[in-house]
Amino acid sequence: MTDLSQTAGPVGAAKAASLVVADARMLRRRATEKRFRLMGLMAVGVGMLALVVLLTSILGNGLPSFRQTAITMPVTLDEAVLDKSGTRDPAVMAKVTTLGYGKLIQAALEAELIARNVDTQGLTVKDIAGMISQEAPADLRALVLADPTLVGTTISFDALANGRVDGYFKGRVTMESAVDDGNISPEQLRVAQAMRDIGMINLVFNPGFFTKSDASELRPEAAGLGVAMLGSAYMMLIVLVLALPIGVAASVYLEEIAPKNRWTDIIEINIANLAAVPSIVYGILALALFINIIGLPQSAPIVGGLVLTLMTLPTIIIATRAALKAVPPSIRDAALGVGASKNQTIFHHVLPLAMPGILTGTILGLARALGESAPLLLIGMVAFVKDFPAAPPAGMFDPASALPVQVYSWTQRADPAFAERSSGAIIVLLVFLLSMNALAIILRRRFERRW
Amino acid sequence: MNDMRLTERTVTEGVKISAQGVQVHYGTNHALKDVDVAILDKTVTAFIGPSGCGKSTFLRCLNRMNDTVASAKVTGMIMLDGQDIYDARVDPVQLRAKVGMVFQKPNPFPKSIYDNVAYGPKIHGLASGKAELDQVVETSLKKAALWNEVKDRLEAPGTGLSGGQQQRLCIARAIATSPEVLLMDEPCSALDPIATAQVEELIDELRSQFSVVIVTHSMQQAARVSQRTAFFHLGHLVEYGETGTIFTNPKDPRTESYITGRIG
Amino acid sequence: MSIAALALLVLGLAALGFVLGRQRAVASVKGDRRALHSLPGYYGWYVALFTATPAYLLMVAWLILQPMLIAYQVTGMILPEDIADGSSRDLVMTDVRRISEGMDSFAASGMTEAEIVTLSEDPAALKTALEGVGVALGSDINPHVAAAAVTYRQDVALGRLWMSVVALALAVGGLVLSSRRVGPELRSRNSVERYVQVLLVSASMIAILTTAGIVFSLVFESVHFFQLYPAKDFFLSLTWTPKFGGGSDLGIWPLLWGTLYVSFIALLVAVPIGLMSAIYLSEYAGPKLRGMAKPALEVLAGIPSIVYGLFALLTVGPFLRDYFAQPLGLGDSSSSVMTAGIVMGVMLIPYVSSLSDDIINAVPQALRDGSYALGATQSETVRQVVLPAALPGIVGAVLMAASRAIGETMIVVLGAGAAAKLDLNPFEAMTTVTVKIVSQLTGDTEFASPETLVAFALGLTLFVFTLCLNIIALFIVRKYREQYE
Repeated sequence: MTDLSQTAGPVGAAKAASLVVADARMLRRRATEKRFRLMGLMAVGVGMLALVVLLTSILGNGLPSFRQTAITMPVTLDEAVLDKSGTRDPAVMAKVTTLGYGKLIQAALEAELIARNVDTQGLTVKDIAGMISQEAPADLRALVLADPTLVGTTISFDALANGRVDGYFKGRVTMESAVDDGNISPEQLRVAQAMRDIGMINLVFNPGFFTKSDASELRPEAAGLGVAMLGSAYMMLIVLVLALPIGVAASVYLEEIAPKNRWTDIIEINIANLAAVPSIVYGILALALFINIIGLPQSAPIVGGLVLTLMTLPTIIIATRAALKAVPPSIRDAALGVGASKNQTIFHHVLPLAMPGILTGTILGLARALGESAPLLLIGMVAFVKDFPAAPPAGMFDPASALPVQVYSWTQRADPAFAERSSGAIIVLLVFLLSMNALAIILRRRFERRW
Repeated sequence: MNDMRLTERTVTEGVKISAQGVQVHYGTNHALKDVDVAILDKTVTAFIGPSGCGKSTFLRCLNRMNDTVASAKVTGMIMLDGQDIYDARVDPVQLRAKVGMVFQKPNPFPKSIYDNVAYGPKIHGLASGKAELDQVVETSLKKAALWNEVKDRLEAPGTGLSGGQQQRLCIARAIATSPEVLLMDEPCSALDPIATAQVEELIDELRSQFSVVIVTHSMQQAARVSQRTAFFHLGHLVEYGETGTIFTNPKDPRTESYITGRIG
Repeated sequence: MSIAALALLVLGLAALGFVLGRQRAVASVKGDRRALHSLPGYYGWYVALFTATPAYLLMVAWLILQPMLIAYQVTGMILPEDIADGSSRDLVMTDVRRISEGMDSFAASGMTEAEIVTLSEDPAALKTALEGVGVALGSDINPHVAAAAVTYRQDVALGRLWMSVVALALAVGGLVLSSRRVGPELRSRNSVERYVQVLLVSASMIAILTTAGIVFSLVFESVHFFQLYPAKDFFLSLTWTPKFGGGSDLGIWPLLWGTLYVSFIALLVAVPIGLMSAIYLSEYAGPKLRGMAKPALEVLAGIPSIVYGLFALLTVGPFLRDYFAQPLGLGDSSSSVMTAGIVMGVMLIPYVSSLSDDIINAVPQALRDGSYALGATQSETVRQVVLPAALPGIVGAVLMAASRAIGETMIVVLGAGAAAKLDLNPFEAMTTVTVKIVSQLTGDTEFASPETLVAFALGLTLFVFTLCLNIIALFIVRKYREQYE
């Protein structure tokens, strides 16, 4: 070893230089390397950036929809108007329509404005009433019918404000835009600002966004996701009940039983292709087959559920087959070795072991189905649905909407208030999807088995 | 540049690579323990030993191929011509241009035979023009004893050759960059006896220009092609010396057991 | 009897069959279970399956066939002159169905069948009565239609009755026959397992049936369309101007052009970025970045396309219009080919990236080692060895991405616009095949006009297009994988 250091004298030094020092070509190559790396990093960055911009844009647009402008005022529930009979029987009281309640609210607002000394100069009675949502009387009516003992008392009532007033406090509507707006005037906004200053108008959490059904073009402030969420839930139920057993059965057949022949090959290629068929084509299938030929009703969760089942099946089959493949053959040999039949082997041993993988795939498939909108547009789910569907199974045939479709139909309305609402609906949809994905990840982490 | 390399080569007789206290860990697995060795220039050195003894690991340290394995950690010192190759300033890319490697399984690129051989010279800028490149390719293929078999189909894909031809193509590819050391990791284990004989013959010829280090499973092969032999066992370098001595008069009982077939 | 009740009844019979079969099996060997061929439970299942399956199959078939047969019969009762101008047989049939539903409500509110028949003979009174139960009809009720409704209703009730009778008879018959066969010699496990196998096979047949359904519905209605509108004009005309009064120009080219233009821009965005990030993540990134970026990309992949559509509509579209299109004088539309293309590109980034990741990882490490051992840098190895080796696979991935881009609907519906035109300006609003399928098939349209039916021809074109791309891609990728196996 000692002689090495001697021979490595001057010559070694020259060699050393050639390993450490880079020539011009090497420098160029290193620069290229760096550039390439940077490009890769930038590509990843662009992907991340897109995600961030997407989420902030949706959150920024949609979060305001969870809070709604409300006008707080004391309302005297006059017995002479609301319950002439004095029986407090909701069935009798239901004869009083929203018109009667509307007059009460209007009077209450006028009285409160005078009492709180708000300057309403330049506003007609109609203008003042116009600041309240047309939905407010219905809300009050529902409140009273649910609790008839309120009649005769004075309650503090949070009336929804008109969508434009709401928009003003959320920055959607300005004094300038109000000048040309038939639904609101700058004077009204000024009064609204004054009401806000004295605490009559507040932005409050808006549970109606989750519980109410869709509302017409004129009252965006009252539009909610209730029917859409219920419709989506019905469809997910159908997908789960149909797609999971069928998907598992088909995968078990293809993976465990099917002979390796041409026919099986055709089925496999078929499934791979079905997974890639554009979703809109499934919509055409549903329209032609389920609605036109079989005669199922339009806009019904049953049709949506069926078409989403067909769309989800390939995903579930592919995931299930992967899970079945991951179960080592030794398990099958062991079961067959103690005299179990092929079916017993599959149902007692292989399937239970593959279950976590199957469930993960199913949840991901469901998440896909939950976000799907194109096929639902074609089966009429975009229609305006005001009434909640009945309880299943009959409700499966009632008209309903779906979360992603509600997003779409709100984007088609002229009032920008609906744009805010569709972003809000997206947030709700994304929360559902994220929880489903998180659940899938937890399942995978918790039960994943390495053989 | 080429000229300089030639003069250097003639001057540097004796030790080409010297390793001192080399330790390798793969995660928690201590794969190589305190290896000291001096590899001579213009010599074929064989690393033998049972499977998992660390011989391939050590070979991959010599051109820092272990860098591509994330969990591998190498300590100790390995000098190539007196320069520590694990020095932070050393670019493994430049090192590997000097220390070429041939792998266990032939791994021709999915390109033409010509492009396979020209790949190294192209990236290192060793040829200034098409004619020169042609020359390098031809010389390398000739040195690898493959020229006569492929000269009419240089544009055919390298993957279409037979196993033995593929391995010789990989050798040609390695020598086309004019390395100073050629590392061979069980180069014949995937080949049939005839192809093995061809490659062994080739290794003997390459000795005149390079320092060749060959890892082999077969003691017969080590005896046939090498001048020096190192015996590895359980991560230790047990014995290192003249091939003849190792095989006929081993000092260590473990070496003797191995070559007489009692362990391994 | 309602269908649900009937189904429950059959299920009850099946449960009874299970208990009976099990008991008989055990009794037949006097409690010595080892003398049985199969476990007692299998005998139970054997009887239960023979009880329920034929009855259920009959019910399904009946439910599908009955409406068709009744509709056929009732349609015959409506004469051509009963169909008003601007209406169609289908619309009249819808009225028939609604009237009969109204009659169901009458019956529910206590009216006798005879009273309903009497009422139906007086169209004006019928109309008023129907409005009373919430069935509002547009025009006066034609006597033939009212009669048809009565027949329709009677047929439905009759069919339902017969179905119940036959299904119950089948269930009881199955129960009796199969439980008689129960005995120690009966190989009930084999029968049950064969039955399960048949179930499994039929489940896997659903895939075939779906494809057949898609092809059938597309081709059937497309043929219908081409009978009304010449195929030559559809495939060769350069204008798309549907008029619901008739005399439309329904050339596919402007739609195809928009589709391809948007997809092209999407791929221009997605392929380089997706491919580069796949390369970076698999060849360069440390475990930390990879651990962060991969799930983020998966999240991006899990976001439904309606979200991207809204993103295009509310954010990207106005941004491109205000900062690019208007300053450059290229237009002032917020929905444009560029908007849809860029957003779709973003959507496809994770798709391309995960596909290429698989492909790049399939390139054997030996090839990389070979290149590194020659002193190549990482980027040289990637560009000159890994990518060329992975090229076929990457081509396959790009084709799959293209097929998704072509079939994508929500982003283009919300981001690309509705104007069908052949233009080069990417900031111009254009439209795609999928957008037109949606717009021709949503809303109240009748299925007899070429303006509606064209959607099926468009769907067929789309289906054939994407199918070809996918089959080619699958083939290429399969070949590619075989090469390195």
